[in-house]
Amino acid sequence: MRVELINLGKKYEGRENFTIRGVDLVIEDREFCVILGPSGCGKSTLLRMIAGLNSITEGELRFGGKRMNSVPPKDRDIAMVFQSYALYPHMSVYDNMAFSLSMRKESKHIIDERVREAADLLQITDYLYSKPSDISGGQRQRVALGRAMVRKPKVFLMDEPLSNLDAKLREHMRIELVRLHKSLDTTTIYVTHDQTEAMTMATKIVLMDDGRIQQVGKPDEFYNKPINLFVAGFIGSPTMNIFEGKFQEGRFHSRDSSLVLTPSQEDLEKLRAYEGKEIYLGIRSERFHTDKDDEQITVMVDVVEMLGKEKILYTKLGEDEVIISVPGHKTFEENQHYGFSPDKEALHFFDGETRQRIN
Amino acid sequence: MRKKKKGLYLSDKPPLTTFGKLILGLNYFILFSYCIVIIWPLFRMTTAAFNGKQGRYISLTGRYEFSLKHFEYLFKETLYLSWVKNTLMIAVVTALLTILIVSFTGYAYSRFRFKGRKASLMTIMLIQTIPTFAGITAFFTLHSIVSDFFPFFSRQMMLILIYTGGGIAANTFILKGYIDSISTELDDAAKIDGCSYMQIYRLIIMPVVRPMLAIIALWSFIGPFMDYMLPKALLTKPESYTLAAGLYTLMNNRETLNQPAFAAGGLLTALPIVILFIALQKQLISGLAQGSVKG
Repeated sequence: MRVELINLGKKYEGRENFTIRGVDLVIEDREFCVILGPSGCGKSTLLRMIAGLNSITEGELRFGGKRMNSVPPKDRDIAMVFQSYALYPHMSVYDNMAFSLSMRKESKHIIDERVREAADLLQITDYLYSKPSDISGGQRQRVALGRAMVRKPKVFLMDEPLSNLDAKLREHMRIELVRLHKSLDTTTIYVTHDQTEAMTMATKIVLMDDGRIQQVGKPDEFYNKPINLFVAGFIGSPTMNIFEGKFQEGRFHSRDSSLVLTPSQEDLEKLRAYEGKEIYLGIRSERFHTDKDDEQITVMVDVVEMLGKEKILYTKLGEDEVIISVPGHKTFEENQHYGFSPDKEALHFFDGETRQRIN
Repeated sequence: MRKKKKGLYLSDKPPLTTFGKLILGLNYFILFSYCIVIIWPLFRMTTAAFNGKQGRYISLTGRYEFSLKHFEYLFKETLYLSWVKNTLMIAVVTALLTILIVSFTGYAYSRFRFKGRKASLMTIMLIQTIPTFAGITAFFTLHSIVSDFFPFFSRQMMLILIYTGGGIAANTFILKGYIDSISTELDDAAKIDGCSYMQIYRLIIMPVVRPMLAIIALWSFIGPFMDYMLPKALLTKPESYTLAAGLYTLMNNRETLNQPAFAAGGLLTALPIVILFIALQKQLISGLAQGSVKG
């Protein structure tokens, strides 16, 4: 089902400012939409508004063209998976999964069929009659998913469902969730603060900060064309290197002039209007090469972080810290100087005032 | 062969020093004296209740002969059975009413945000500090006004309302605190699954807070067994007395004085409470809230 958010806003009772304001978003049918953002940016509130757990102060919410603002949660044809799973502790796994259907007065036969179907798919048939307290975290997670699945909802809502799992299991569940999404053929709206989850699972990412949408797009757009400085700094690990500086005589000069760069021909076109103005330059850590170049920078390696397939060098360049990632088999010593050249095809320029992308 | 450990160890701590041992000895001394203070009167009461050689007064010296004659006296010569009946009736109704009302108030205070929420909670809590007995004249007046309109409104019903009302504030506080510790995501999940607020409480929250409800029910149940002042002041006829008030007539009235029978009555009074404790034991100690969220 197509979910539309039109100029949505939320102001909590007793607060002066809007928590969320002016959110316009269209989530197409069968899309896996991930709402990403740092904690406190309003992403969970937004999801709870879509679910109907929080009221909508202004704007309009539409499901498949129908206005949903005042429809109670149970009639919105949604299912939600919570961060804490929220399994009913006094009921068996089976009863947990059957609960929503029995509240809907479905026949025993249909309930049983649906629960077993979901349990089969999630491989939890063996402990259908255990209590939630007797099964492991990963299994609880599956039960929570199963509970949402049996209703065959039009929209799946997930509020950081993987954040309580350990790293290995999380990786595994990520793939499983995507598989599930494909087989169920529903719209999924997924809230997380973990960019890896967003990048790997989403067909559409919505990045929020400070109650506003910063950028909407496909994962690779986020990485390669961040729309503003916040997005550039948020997406990618290690964080993108950002230099403050000026654009003078067709070249970028960092504050202390330790970095002077001539942008590519394409970028120069767009930068023409910024002659003499403050701008920001962003370079991802992996876009440095060691080939000789006339605009090479010489950095002093401070700390080397060994990650196996790559090494992360935390280096000093004048006042700035520069993070550079290099292949893991190459040797770099701490407190030594090395020369690196930024890849000119991979420069990101941002306006010094509005912090919006230039190129 | 096991090596004999030198020194005195408490759990996994370093061995006790001489001073530590002294303190430990002192601890045991205090605990044992305390036990004696509690157990000795109980022991005397039990022996006196079964001692056929006792007269109307309990004497600490004298011979002992096992007999049930004091119990016989209690059942045949006094109104003991109707006191039991009265007390049980009052206690059960009080417990049920308290649970019902506290369920509503505790859930509402925990889950809903409304104007005057904090203020009203504090107010009831403060009013609670005034002893119930201070309102005795008000209770009398209230009762006479209400019974003018509804003649079936007996003094015992008044007593039930007083006990229930007295327990609401503190128990609301306790239950609210307990419900606060349950993740509100459970409520949200139930809401999406199609529950109304009443259903959320009845189907989801109540089963989870059952241990706490059991404790509240137990305390409300015990109250009427322990209270002497209110029934004595409010109830006029010996037939309508509760156990505490009734048994006291065996102590203070020269005509009906019979101390061993009082002891026997006291012993029997403890029975329903002990039975209830055993029956609710599982509820009281179960940690149902475990495993609902995270873990």
